[in-house]
Amino acid sequence: MEIVVCVKPIPDPETRLRASPDGTTLDAEGVKFVLTGYDESAVEQALLLKEATPGSKVHVVSAGPAPRTEEVLRASLALGCDAATWVELPPGVGLDPVVAARALGKAVSALPHDLVLCGKQAGDDEAGVVPGALGEILGVPDFGAVVDLRWDPGAARLRFQRSAEAGSETWEAPLPCVVALQQAWNDPRTAKLPAILKSRKLPIAKVASEPPPPDGGTSRAVKFELPPPRTGAKLIEYKTPEEAAQKLVKALREEAKVFP
Amino acid sequence: MPDFSLTPEQENLRDLARKFARTEMAPHAAECDRTSRFPEEIYRRAYELGLMNLNVPTEYGGSGLGLFDQSLIVEELAYACGGMTTSTIANCLALEPILLDGTPEQKERLLTPFCAEYHLASFALTEPSGGSDPGAMRTLAQKDGDDYLVTGEKCFISNAPNASLYTVFATIDPKLRHKGVTAFAVPRTAEGLSVGPDEEKMGHRASSTATVRFDRVRVPAADRLGPEGNGFSLAMRTLDQTRTPIGALATGIAQAALDHAARYSLKRETFGKPIAEHQAIQIKLATMAQAVQASRLLTWHSAWTIDRGQRGTFESSMAKCFASDTAFAVADQAIQIFGGYGYMREYPVEKLLRDAKLTQIYEGANEIQRTVIARELLRKYA
Repeated sequence: MEIVVCVKPIPDPETRLRASPDGTTLDAEGVKFVLTGYDESAVEQALLLKEATPGSKVHVVSAGPAPRTEEVLRASLALGCDAATWVELPPGVGLDPVVAARALGKAVSALPHDLVLCGKQAGDDEAGVVPGALGEILGVPDFGAVVDLRWDPGAARLRFQRSAEAGSETWEAPLPCVVALQQAWNDPRTAKLPAILKSRKLPIAKVASEPPPPDGGTSRAVKFELPPPRTGAKLIEYKTPEEAAQKLVKALREEAKVFP
Repeated sequence: MPDFSLTPEQENLRDLARKFARTEMAPHAAECDRTSRFPEEIYRRAYELGLMNLNVPTEYGGSGLGLFDQSLIVEELAYACGGMTTSTIANCLALEPILLDGTPEQKERLLTPFCAEYHLASFALTEPSGGSDPGAMRTLAQKDGDDYLVTGEKCFISNAPNASLYTVFATIDPKLRHKGVTAFAVPRTAEGLSVGPDEEKMGHRASSTATVRFDRVRVPAADRLGPEGNGFSLAMRTLDQTRTPIGALATGIAQAALDHAARYSLKRETFGKPIAEHQAIQIKLATMAQAVQASRLLTWHSAWTIDRGQRGTFESSMAKCFASDTAFAVADQAIQIFGGYGYMREYPVEKLLRDAKLTQIYEGANEIQRTVIARELLRKYA
């Protein structure tokens, strides 16, 4: 099976973020970008399918600027992906998820692709548009919020679960298709040191991107703000649990006015 | 132009060590410290990730890293737990004599099967009557045909209860002093080799330490490392290679102490404001931060010097000595900033002081490091 997995470089959750000088986006200066959450689960799923299906290959694709995009591709190679393709976009381009999906779609359509895996949404903007747009661009069905994806070689069908209101659905689908995965339902592996060293020397195919649309796409980010600093935390000191409960109820009633 | 920035590869190695240290080591550090448990599952995991036999070339199944890369990893590990780090990197110390003076045949025979699976090794130099004076060594290696019969006792041996291989230093004749010291690789299974009980230690309690006794242990000449009488030089050259990571280990402990103290100082209030706003605390934090940074830079410089092919005795002794004294002093100041809480086992900083203490003693006590530094220094003026 030819598996393509699409990943996006996301600011390290431990990084302190700032708004860019023009206030429209994140200031990428000094920010470390990593493979996180949804994408880690997608890469893990791709590798599990490869291991369960002899003769499979996993090709990782990402669209974005240097050096962050190269870094997440190398991280994916270190985890066990077989090949990597980088659609180089200038900084700031691809913020519109449809523009990003077009860039990815062009690269994916040039590769053999039985199955295209994505995280169900990006860990930073959480737009969740790329998988659907990618299905549209590639002309194949797409499925969202999937867990426990398996390949049934006898029936030549994918089988997977989707969380639904008050339950869980089981689906099956033929290839080719796009599958967007839930985060962390599997246990993403950690790349080992020798694989990390090897990944630094592996080739990465570069694909030129289309010139971005002059208006930047169908949508445009106009403002980026960090959440306001949290205030009002109060530490309640106590000697016994009874005293803690009494003081807490008093504070909730008289200060926070949560209940009368 | 000297460059202090790390390569992307080095960033990756540091990130791997950081992730492992903070997600897999740190959650067990307090429990292992309290109960003196040897967390074998963590060491197995370190081996699987390639974080154990760091200095062994890849052709023998190790990670093949230079000292700079090793130092980046060791600092991250020690940030989470000094004791677990000691046990994780003890193989580097124990295998270094084989790397330095082993023949290609010995390296292939001893290292390749060892590194192919999870195994621990111990470096057995120190004796009950003294560690800093190997010339006074009493463990005897008597020639018997083509073999040697080794008899004696080695103490404070890291990982000894769990090791499958020991690099042992013994003398063919105590009267020869330094010139009699000879090194051997001895498997755990050798008849007459016995390991004492795990010692109760002040710190590094996730690591195991024991006495190893040799009662006429037969060692074939094929397992002698280098010629007879080569052992003292081999031990010194080994320590030249392994002191730098001890500087990194101490830097990791010191950085952890500084981070705990700085964060606490922003939360703890006295006289109506966070103690970080009191100059007395600011001066402490600033002094601690300077020493931690200087430790890291001495360690990096030592690693860089040795990675360029120089012996680096002067540089590595300075790094080990300064960083370990810093770790102790910074952990001490961190406890002071925490006040009464710092003295309590419930808080993490008193462990750092106990763990820091060992770094001033093992792999060459700091008194010996200063002797070495002075000797190297005065050589430049003589």
